[in-house]
Amino acid sequence: MTEKLNPADAEPTPTPVVAQPDAVEPAAEAPEAAEAAAVVPADAEPMPAPAMAPADAVLVPLEQLAPAIAAASVSRRAFLGFGLAVAGGVVGAGVLAQYFPVFASAGDEVAPIVPNYNPATKAWTFVVDSASCIGCGLCVVACKEENHVPEPAEYARTWIERHVTTTDGQLYIDSPEAGINGFPKDSTAPGAAGKAVKSSYFQPRLCMQCAEPPCVGVCPVSATYQTEDGIVLVDARRCIGCGYCVTSCPYGARYLTPAGEDTPSDTPGVADKCTWCYHRINKGQKPACVEICPVKSRQFGDANDPADPIAAIVKATNPAPFHPEWGTKPRVLYLGPALEEA
Amino acid sequence: MQAATRPMTIAGRRIPTLREMGAWLVSEVHRTPRGLKIWYALLGVFLAVGGVAALISVPPGWEVMGTSPKFEWGLLIVAYVFFAIITSGLCLSASLGTVFGLERFLPFEKRHAVLALISLITAFLVIALELHYPIRMVFGAMLTPAPTSPMWWMGVFYGTYLVVLIIEVWTLFTNHPVIHKYACTSCAIVAVFAPTTLGAVFGVLAAKPFWYGIFTPIQMVCTALTAGLAILGIVFWAVDRFRLANHGTAKPIAMPSIRLLMAIALVIVSALLIRQMVDALASPQPGMREAAIALISGPLAIQFWGVRVVIGLVVPALLLAMPMTRTPWGLLGTSVTMLVGVFMDRLNFVEAGQIYPRTTQAGTVSYPYAAYTPSPVELGILLFALAFFALAYTLAERYLKMGEGDSHIFWPWPWIKPHHDHEHDGEDDHDHKADGAQVDPLKRLASATPAQEVAL
Repeated sequence: MTEKLNPADAEPTPTPVVAQPDAVEPAAEAPEAAEAAAVVPADAEPMPAPAMAPADAVLVPLEQLAPAIAAASVSRRAFLGFGLAVAGGVVGAGVLAQYFPVFASAGDEVAPIVPNYNPATKAWTFVVDSASCIGCGLCVVACKEENHVPEPAEYARTWIERHVTTTDGQLYIDSPEAGINGFPKDSTAPGAAGKAVKSSYFQPRLCMQCAEPPCVGVCPVSATYQTEDGIVLVDARRCIGCGYCVTSCPYGARYLTPAGEDTPSDTPGVADKCTWCYHRINKGQKPACVEICPVKSRQFGDANDPADPIAAIVKATNPAPFHPEWGTKPRVLYLGPALEEA
Repeated sequence: MQAATRPMTIAGRRIPTLREMGAWLVSEVHRTPRGLKIWYALLGVFLAVGGVAALISVPPGWEVMGTSPKFEWGLLIVAYVFFAIITSGLCLSASLGTVFGLERFLPFEKRHAVLALISLITAFLVIALELHYPIRMVFGAMLTPAPTSPMWWMGVFYGTYLVVLIIEVWTLFTNHPVIHKYACTSCAIVAVFAPTTLGAVFGVLAAKPFWYGIFTPIQMVCTALTAGLAILGIVFWAVDRFRLANHGTAKPIAMPSIRLLMAIALVIVSALLIRQMVDALASPQPGMREAAIALISGPLAIQFWGVRVVIGLVVPALLLAMPMTRTPWGLLGTSVTMLVGVFMDRLNFVEAGQIYPRTTQAGTVSYPYAAYTPSPVELGILLFALAFFALAYTLAERYLKMGEGDSHIFWPWPWIKPHHDHEHDGEDDHDHKADGAQVDPLKRLASATPAQEVAL
């Protein structure tokens, strides 16, 4: 096997020249015949392929053959050179990037959005009491106003569900217009009309700010990320709008923004979600939905702050996460019937 | 035609002048058969209609798709997956000839490669129209890599795939056997990795129980092979019907082989489908059983039983089994029905995965099932993609030399001697030099050992 010629080395062997004597005879009908040969006639007679090949050889006179072979070998060398250049360029750029950081990487420390805000000291805690919620929908209104959430009901960062159990034991869930206008007397869920209600409750929903968020893991361009204080955010200028995070969220907390006047960012068609009003909480304010809730069924605070009552609330009421078995370590804590049903 | 000055050449080939090119175009139009002109016109209309749809879909955030937060992935994701797995399937079946040395398919090696390249470009076109910011994706994937994301890996593998395929096609038409050898082997490897990661894109989503699991990537690779074989079946029919290059070997050699491979693929895909449905029906996981019921007796029942099972599996199996349909036309029927089945399989998979959301999605309660209807824009883009694929292949078949592909046989594992090595030792390296001196594939087949015959 070692004696066998390397095909690459064998390139300039005079094999094509052998074909030359055959090619001398039909040389008179040069260009037209060659052009015709370049086309595979769809309705031609059955003809063995080799018959077309000598006509092809006519195109290349002997004196032009040597440069052609040389060009062919150079192209391979050029190809390898090009590959090496590209590889070298990538490696070089990687090394240079270490010394001259042009682009921020996911591992870089994020500059604080607000001066004097130290996310490392925060233990943001969100408690939702499904027993006390009255389904007024003010939280949905406040969220849409505060965060420029698109008007149509299918785009909601936070919403309210009504869970109705009828006397025949069936459970019906409805959320007309995401609860923004409150709820009619009877459930709008298909099949619920006319049935006697045994029990019902309202369940406010929002992003769970999971400790192990699947949406962050699946993003192909690292556009969605988790801050040091545990809030999952989206960089609207990096998002490509693939919708992968939307499908990955078991809590249905995400959507892609439509184009229009009322969008949360200047680039439409990107993923959007509840941020627990990150722009407010890092200034010491409460999220808009918490602020507006008339019955205090949404409670929010920093458990690390001794002056904040949230730690005492958690200690006294012992709320629990919603569907922890889905494995994402959700961080919104619920109280009341929502937990019992889950 | 005496030129006053010395004509410009590239690698010994003369570059025609603009005037010559114009004259060639005119004569080419005259020379084009009528049937082909009608075919071009039809594809042109499809491209125009689909092109309008594609343009409408370009501005990000325009709500022109049928998708919504509750049903985020629709027909375009299906179309992308469909063309992407066709690419892999073609490479998997092409590797039978080039990597594993099955000589029956060697005369069609160029078609495999060219079709795979066209299909991958089509897939990229579709996904670029589906994504709202495709250019951001290119830069984002490179500058902020996300190795935890299967979609990022999919981009890596399909990006690599595109490069390797371009090299493979280039080497096929320019006679670079050594580079070709490595390109082919890389292609066969990437052809397994790429659909696997594509399957993983769905398979890692615990939020969608019907998609989640180890079998999704496996199923993706197997349907890829099925789709590749179906495309080859259509091509072999076309080669035989229109007497394209190497048509002499299509009927006696390629068609029986591909029929056998199709039968194997149908059995595997059917077994996987049964496993999927039984597993889903028996699953205690919320969302899993409901998805299977949606397919079996719910809103997806017609497309599952009617299209996926009957048209996609039963009809091709019958066409393969019955002696009277073991003809080129029978093969065409088998291939088309199989391809429709694969497309419907992908559509069913994507729809069933999202049809029963576990919870309210961004404020929308979907009960009992989430609804999705493809919009005219989505259908238009699918039409555009299909027409682009067909037109690109027609042009390739007409203007590229597809019929000299049997000279690139090699054995990629030098430490294991192939059966026919002693017979072709040294010969293979010379074959590609003797331009046009084709060895009759029938003769080659005759020299195959009985073991290889059985394998075929």
